[in-house]
Amino acid sequence: MPTSWAIRKQALREERSFADVAEEHLDDVYRYLLYMTGNPHLAEDLAAETFERALRRWRRFDPSRGAARTWLCQLARGAALDHFRSDRRRRKREGIYASDVPEIDEPVFGEGLSPALDRAVQSLSAAEREVVGLRVVLELDGDTTAKVLGIRPSAVSTRLSRALQKLEERMVSDVRG
Amino acid sequence: MSEASYLVELREAAPRAPETLRELVRDLSVAQPRRQRRIRPALVGAIAIAVAIAVGAAVIGGLSGSSDETRGVSPVAGAAKTRKLLVPAAKAPQDIPQFATGLTSKSRLQRQDVSMRLRVKDLSGATQSAVRTTRQLGGFVAGADYSTGSKEGNSRLALRVPVANLQQAIASFTNLGTILSQHISVADLQTGLDRLDARIAAARRKGHDHGADRLERRRDALIREGTYARVSLQLTTAKPAAQHSAPGRFGRFWDTTSNILGKELIAMLYVLVLAGPFILLAALLVFAERTRRRRADERLLEEAA
Repeated sequence: MPTSWAIRKQALREERSFADVAEEHLDDVYRYLLYMTGNPHLAEDLAAETFERALRRWRRFDPSRGAARTWLCQLARGAALDHFRSDRRRRKREGIYASDVPEIDEPVFGEGLSPALDRAVQSLSAAEREVVGLRVVLELDGDTTAKVLGIRPSAVSTRLSRALQKLEERMVSDVRG
Repeated sequence: MSEASYLVELREAAPRAPETLRELVRDLSVAQPRRQRRIRPALVGAIAIAVAIAVGAAVIGGLSGSSDETRGVSPVAGAAKTRKLLVPAAKAPQDIPQFATGLTSKSRLQRQDVSMRLRVKDLSGATQSAVRTTRQLGGFVAGADYSTGSKEGNSRLALRVPVANLQQAIASFTNLGTILSQHISVADLQTGLDRLDARIAAARRKGHDHGADRLERRRDALIREGTYARVSLQLTTAKPAAQHSAPGRFGRFWDTTSNILGKELIAMLYVLVLAGPFILLAALLVFAERTRRRRADERLLEEAA
């Protein structure tokens, strides 16, 4: 088990450029945002916003405190939450209660994904999709996911378990229906 | 469909970022800044607090140190001057009589009390030597208490030494062993004597012989009191609890450092006691705000499609 000092030394040795980090984690950030929003266009905009934020804050990024991917996911979450907040304010202001999710015929969560699975994922809430995206698609471990979400690892397990249960139920009902 | 298969499907079908986004991020990276070593705010705060405590402790230490120095000799009611000297073992014994010399006056009648405590090797020899010296100097032994045990022996001598020979007596006693403590007290009797003389003369003039005789007896007693100094000499063979030796450079450095650290600790405790409730309140507020924000975010995500 590496000590915190060893991790710090390793992080300083492996000091990398922003371009390298952005290139390596671009797909992960996009996928995470896609799962959060369920909207490819919005995910693309938010990913661009995330990397702009990351570039502005790159001087303050401390690799010894966490991996770059975790840091980028935290920034992406912040960008998504900001979007949801402003969207909710806009909806309240305009008296709109309907969702703005566009009708897309192609699978949203990846090419080749079965329509039933895609619809099931789409039917989950953003919070549920978020944990599925982090734990299943990005394959983050429980502790890192908890760090991104700002909750305890046990809460991550509970949330994931519920989300997957719901996902299965939706798929089964979709197949039967 | 098994659970594992749909999870695998989700993972394998995970989309790649669009090329437009990739190019945008690439363009962003062109103007990338160099990452600077970050100074943690917590570290800066800790250093600032440590410096503040150190400065506070130094100020407190400086103030208390200076007040200790000014204490010195405190005037005692009347004409008496009293000072207790705690003499380190290594200090030269001949320093002590010089202090007494400064307090005494040959032209005035004074009552002098000296209390000395010495550690000696040979209790019997030292006791006999003290008695012999006292007698040689025209004094006498008013009382003695001598006891020896398996581990230590003690001897207490109440001596009366002519004031004129007191300095010589003290010098001799200090040579008996190591001084543990010394107390010299000098009280002026001359004023009282002058007053008695005046009253006796007045009584004689008025023919009050009986009253004058009574006053003369008091005068004689006062003169006797001023003629012989009371010396309380305690001799012991007891070993000191801890061997004190003059500290070296490292010893002095360690003493100073531990002293400063102790004061810093006290200052830190003060700060903690005073600021503790506020820090706790601030921490609770931060915790509550974080919890509120997290719950608001969770609700927002639940509501979001």
